[in-house]
Amino acid sequence: MVNDSKLLRLAILGAMSLSAMSFSLFAQEVAQTGRSFGETVLPIVRSHCSSCHGLQKQEGDFRIDSLATDFNADPKVAEQWQRILKALEKGEMPPEGAKPLRSAKRKKFKDAIAREVDDSIQKIGKNGTHSVPRRLNRVEYANTMRDLLGLDMDYGRDLPTDPPSQDGFYNNGQSLQMSAEQLQCYLDTARRAMDKVIVNGPAPKVFKHEFNKCNVGGWKGDVELSNRLGRQQEFIVKVVGDYPEEGEFVIRVKLSANLKQDIGFPLLEVSLGYRPDTEILFGEVALVEITDPTIEDARSTPEESKGEGESHHEPLEQVVELRGRVENFPLPVRGQGKFPGLVIKIRNAYDDGSPLPKGKKEKENGNKWVYPEEPNLPTLQIHSVEFEGPIFDQWPPLMHRQILFDSEQRNTDEKAYVAEVLHRFMSKAYRQPVEHSEVDRLLDFFISIRPEFPTFEETIRETLSMVLISPRFLYLMVPSNKDSGIDDSALAARLSFFLWSTMPDNELSEHATQGQLRDSDRMSQQVERMLKDDRSTQFVEQFTDQWLNIDKLENISVSPERFKGFDDRIKKEMRRETQQFFKYLLDQDLSAMNLLRSDFVVINEKMAKHYGIGGVWGDRFREVEVEPTLHRGGLLGQASLLLSNSTGRDSHPVRRAVWIRDRLLNDPPSPPPADVPTLKEADPNFGQLSVREQLEIHRSTDSCSRCHRSLDPWGIALENFDAVGRWRVEPIDATAIFPGGRKVEGFEQLREHLVSEYASQFAGSLVSRLLTYALGRKLELSDQPTVNKLTAEFAADGYQLKSLIQNVVKTSAFQYLGTAG
Amino acid sequence: MKNKSWHLDRRTFLMGTGVSLGLPWLDCMAASVPKDSQAKRFCAMYFGFGVSLPDEKSEQAKWRWFPKGEGKEYQFNDSLAPLETFRDRLTVLGGLSHPHGRKMGAHDTADTFLTGALMNEKSLNNTVSLDQVLAKANGDQTRFSSLVMSTDGGVGEPTRSSTLSYDAKGRPVPALNQPRRIFERFFGVGDADSIAERRRLKSQSVMLDRVLDNARSLRRQLGKQDQDKFDEYLSSVREIEERVETSQRWLEIPRRELRDEELQMLKLDSDENAPFAFIRTMYDLLYLAFRTDSVRVATYQITNMADGSSKAGKFPQLEGFKDSLHTLAHAWDKPEGAEILGKWDRLMTEQLSHFLERLASAQDQNGAILDNTLVLYGSSNSNTHNNNNYPLILAGGQNLGLKHGRYLKIEDKVPLSNLFVTMLDCMGTKRESFADSTGDLSELRS
Repeated sequence: MVNDSKLLRLAILGAMSLSAMSFSLFAQEVAQTGRSFGETVLPIVRSHCSSCHGLQKQEGDFRIDSLATDFNADPKVAEQWQRILKALEKGEMPPEGAKPLRSAKRKKFKDAIAREVDDSIQKIGKNGTHSVPRRLNRVEYANTMRDLLGLDMDYGRDLPTDPPSQDGFYNNGQSLQMSAEQLQCYLDTARRAMDKVIVNGPAPKVFKHEFNKCNVGGWKGDVELSNRLGRQQEFIVKVVGDYPEEGEFVIRVKLSANLKQDIGFPLLEVSLGYRPDTEILFGEVALVEITDPTIEDARSTPEESKGEGESHHEPLEQVVELRGRVENFPLPVRGQGKFPGLVIKIRNAYDDGSPLPKGKKEKENGNKWVYPEEPNLPTLQIHSVEFEGPIFDQWPPLMHRQILFDSEQRNTDEKAYVAEVLHRFMSKAYRQPVEHSEVDRLLDFFISIRPEFPTFEETIRETLSMVLISPRFLYLMVPSNKDSGIDDSALAARLSFFLWSTMPDNELSEHATQGQLRDSDRMSQQVERMLKDDRSTQFVEQFTDQWLNIDKLENISVSPERFKGFDDRIKKEMRRETQQFFKYLLDQDLSAMNLLRSDFVVINEKMAKHYGIGGVWGDRFREVEVEPTLHRGGLLGQASLLLSNSTGRDSHPVRRAVWIRDRLLNDPPSPPPADVPTLKEADPNFGQLSVREQLEIHRSTDSCSRCHRSLDPWGIALENFDAVGRWRVEPIDATAIFPGGRKVEGFEQLREHLVSEYASQFAGSLVSRLLTYALGRKLELSDQPTVNKLTAEFAADGYQLKSLIQNVVKTSAFQYLGTAG
Repeated sequence: MKNKSWHLDRRTFLMGTGVSLGLPWLDCMAASVPKDSQAKRFCAMYFGFGVSLPDEKSEQAKWRWFPKGEGKEYQFNDSLAPLETFRDRLTVLGGLSHPHGRKMGAHDTADTFLTGALMNEKSLNNTVSLDQVLAKANGDQTRFSSLVMSTDGGVGEPTRSSTLSYDAKGRPVPALNQPRRIFERFFGVGDADSIAERRRLKSQSVMLDRVLDNARSLRRQLGKQDQDKFDEYLSSVREIEERVETSQRWLEIPRRELRDEELQMLKLDSDENAPFAFIRTMYDLLYLAFRTDSVRVATYQITNMADGSSKAGKFPQLEGFKDSLHTLAHAWDKPEGAEILGKWDRLMTEQLSHFLERLASAQDQNGAILDNTLVLYGSSNSNTHNNNNYPLILAGGQNLGLKHGRYLKIEDKVPLSNLFVTMLDCMGTKRESFADSTGDLSELRS
């Protein structure tokens, strides 16, 4: 906190009502901050700023004359002056119509502030920027529990939704709060998991049943029950009897695929659930694209030549094996309901989007639905379906044995055995070496509750649950000792949560234990390895989702009348497109400038259809070159962001504009002021006007125009795309005029405009956001030198994401050695 | 804990008793649990973006949310017409708002509906909400001290909150949003005579003690700022420790079971993709929580102002309207917009009316539950972007001193917190002031 005695109240100075007291403070102040700052700044503030940002009025809720000027007292002082500096640099202040600031005076003003701010950054930098203990978010928690315990469970089920930070990240230590509710959920979840991981008693009986044809009658809905699966058939079987209600199961589907030319592959969809009286509840087990590995198929690589006609060999019979845990699916209550039994439903989810042929009910065939064949579509032939569970490698299962390992000691010295069990488990859970005193405290807990519990196993479960609510498990923490940096195991954890959203694996921990992560080459090798690992998908998904805010897609409801036949499931593909595009740039070492403009897209069949691009078949995302006539390439042409910044019915130029300014340029507009006046529409037909015309009225309103004049053009130039991100066929005026008169016509020119005028700002923005994500905290003023340095390196490396990541993990901000380097 | 006579030292009991059951102390605890003879309940429901308010003289006047007339002589317009049967058991309030709210961003005020705090760029800290004041004061009379629900669940982010409730330190209380989870928590299979449950609670208490000890020593190794953050953890541990005590106390008292028809009416698998079924289920759960006297304080944020980032934003579209809630709300001042939003308002009112019916049909010792419950329903926008003249309905609570049957137009300088002061008083939790209150709203009681 700023000491009040050090506050310089310029207003008092301005009003010439100086008391001896405040005068002496002023003298002291100037002595501390250097004469030139006070001398230069005060008169300008008085003559140019304080009439709008002073005692009487506080435009934009900002008052300048009461700002502290002692930059040494509090880092916040520099931040506030930095804000003023930015407004000056961007030419926002003084605003149009106000008394202008001559350029010489402006420069003097700016330089004086910049000097103090820079000085201050240097000083703060030396003290290190702070990062608070950061709680694992829901995704990280679920991943970590899974990897720690070796059990696949819906760990996030009961946890409250995490709040995003103001810049959109879900891993910000400050916004991730803890509450009693939350902590109770962690404990309940830990106990629920430990009940499954640590087993007792003899191995359960294994249930196994094979089905060759559908065995349900009177199924609700209008599907045809069949072994041959086109678009409107389903293979449904009911498992009755002693099926397990808990534990891992396997479903083996023996099938053959009937593939067709110039079209996609069949999609095997398997779900598990049941039918209560009123509805049918299912959970998806898997969705698998069925290809035929024995046929050379060119469809997945459209640029190559097409295959030679229909293949003549018999469709290959193959077995698809799918696993899950029974309790993760909707289960019938045994002995209740009119429709008992666990139901397996199998569908061919491939749909080319053509109109569905009408079916009819066959009277002679028990009133069952039948649909005509669609010879051009790929089908699946189901030969048999086997359900088996619970399955385990041996008894007790591996996850149990990893914790309660085999040892003679268990029978000879239970206490010593438990101590060892705890030591191993805690080291892994805490991602750090564990001291014996800590183990002893937990052992003590074990001993104290041991008489209360009937079995050894139950006591262990409860004891390990305690580990799983410890702050050392739930939080990523750094010790307060700033000189030495974070210890190696904390660094390993930071790295793995950055790139994998989960705990370190053995290899990474090993390197940490041996103290090798400080070695730049070793670190690079590890990063390289981690990015190749499948777990890095987590980084790609989490970072693109949060940076670009495309998970918002799910909350946009697309108007069914405006977009007939729009299938909500494509939203998932839209999101995947953006993720896969980012991943492609990362994997192929391509320039991140492709995010602004590229001459290719990364799409699959569904997205190709959405964009009207032909010849792309199958579920796999791949690079496809696009002609200019297709109007795609780069983020701005991607449906994910276009739809998530629309109303679901119409495009929303303001939202799209805010998105560009915030997410791509790191220059978010100020939020609308309190109690915005409603537009007093001069035009009685306001409602009938186009969005563009409405916005024009908007911009002509005084209180709105100040911000919207420079904001709206970004979105207007994207008016070529409708709400769901398709190129509009109807003519539309997408001409945007930026302040200063720069004219940008539509999507293509907007991309050019960004690449030519904003490349470095975009690069800096991406660097800031990546660093924010990597550190799990908001960036401070003192991080600016780090961002600048990384941005310069990024440019020098041809904007390669991999080298950016390599550089990020080597910054002292990441390694916590202060931020000066 | 007020009643010292049964306040045994937890540690003594835990460490000393072993597994023997049916201990006399439990009986004595059970006996001292207050009966629900003076059960006073409170619930608040919130919706975002305000209501349709076409001019009284316009063609769309019948879609004006606020009634025609004033005082006892008023007529509901179409939006509130479904409440006609409860006319004598509710008051429509006009003119009120939080003065701080008027200084805040147009979409920023959902957080402060029950708190009256000022949240802006300078400080995003909230303050305690009305319900949590009540929960703190009387929460130990029921199995659960409060029930906090919303459509989005969790806490949301500051100014785009997805909960109405804030604890004494102004920290958001996460809201529950999955009907099945709420059901399991509040009505799940009674563990009253389960040995395992008792064992679980016992060991949990020991566990939390130790976690707290360990965490305290860990805290000492942290820097000052880290410690502040870490205190969230510590206070959470302490809070669930207290809950364990309450749970142990309640363990001996059997839960009131739900009746078959109640179980059947619950659609526990409903979610935000079928909004009306979902809202009704949430209301039903709230009703059942009151009916079984499991809790006496509840909040429910039906929709909020997070728009695109909220599951509730698309509610109207999922129910056949053309646009999202935000877009509908924006169009209230266009001719057809007033009607469309009005229709939405009415559908929301129907849900409320259904809830009031349930409360009216169930009895406790003192009559209909509704008459012993303060039901506050409203928004923190009058119409979108305007943080004044909140549309508010205060229903029920006649046995708690409220006089109803009127539409009260209150001067806009009166802070909404004055109403809260009166409500606290009705609830037997008298406070001189709440947030920025300047007095009370005694006219509600005369």
